[in-house]
Amino acid sequence: MVHTTLEGGDPVKATTKPEAFKGGLAQGAGHALGLPALVLFGSMTGYGALAHDTGIGGGLAVLSTVLVWGLPGQIVMAELYAAGADLVAIAIAVAMANMRFFPMAVALLPTLGARSTPARLAQSHLMSATSWAFVMRTAAPEAKPARLGYHTGFAGTCMAIAATATAIGAYAAAELPKPFALSLLFINACFFLLLLADIRGRGALVAVATGVVAGIPINLAFPDTGLILTGIVGGTVGFLTSDKC
Amino acid sequence: MLTGFGIPLSAALAVSIAVVATFAWRALGALLTHRINTEGAVFRWFSLASYAVLAGLLTRLLILPTGGLASVDLTIRLGAAGIALAAFFLARRSLLAGIAAGTASFAAGALLLG
Repeated sequence: MVHTTLEGGDPVKATTKPEAFKGGLAQGAGHALGLPALVLFGSMTGYGALAHDTGIGGGLAVLSTVLVWGLPGQIVMAELYAAGADLVAIAIAVAMANMRFFPMAVALLPTLGARSTPARLAQSHLMSATSWAFVMRTAAPEAKPARLGYHTGFAGTCMAIAATATAIGAYAAAELPKPFALSLLFINACFFLLLLADIRGRGALVAVATGVVAGIPINLAFPDTGLILTGIVGGTVGFLTSDKC
Repeated sequence: MLTGFGIPLSAALAVSIAVVATFAWRALGALLTHRINTEGAVFRWFSLASYAVLAGLLTRLLILPTGGLASVDLTIRLGAAGIALAAFFLARRSLLAGIAAGTASFAAGALLLG
């Protein structure tokens, strides 16, 4: 993960960037309506279909998209719910899948300038992997009020698109002919396949390879705690083989 | 099954626990900012374990599905996954191209052979 901050800024482009909250808000919302919206729409449609398939239902699925707002954890939750896992197993597995939000919040929050605790918590909740990456780009605004606006506009737009896509996915999975409904479910597999195929670094690659291979017998033997065990085994093997170890 | 407003209670509890388990990380990061080193060994292990959980999730979705996907043959699932990977790299790591190609080829496979 990249841990750069933009405190220093880019003096050349600074004059063309918004300085105030409102300008940042509009720019962030606009930037969200590009490629990120399409990928988000597809992946959240897949999640809506999965929620329908597992019996969670469309209403609860939309609520979970807005309140969890982290697709890996949401899909872990739906998978384990369908497998009949207990709440402790679901909590641990979701926490493991979504723990990236901790270091991401640590890196992002100081660059937004949100002072009050409620504002900090609100921004940390809006944050997604995509919003984080966009606000940390050098093309994002540099003035803190504009950065706060940019993140709010970007992430808020993403969340609205995601909630809509979740509802559409749950509805479509119920109404479409079976091969097409199943294809919506397959979006989830494609999404994680490509996310993991894009990973760099020896430790992470070993962790992923170990997780995929060891995940087969582990998840067959332990449908409810299998994801936690896969995380522990893959994480440890990756850690022991990583460059820094 | 216990329900409220037509929603199974067990599903509502599963969603609630997922909300808490996710927001806890965000809140911790937002409140501890500046007082924590995220580059240490413990962090590295957790981050790698997180990747491995996602890898296990991929295995479950692709190789060991339990729901509707289980009704489609493994060869179709793996073939479509291969096409998704090929499209992703051919289109210079475009998530959109990969997902679209993988999902479309899965639909074709499910329609023709499923």
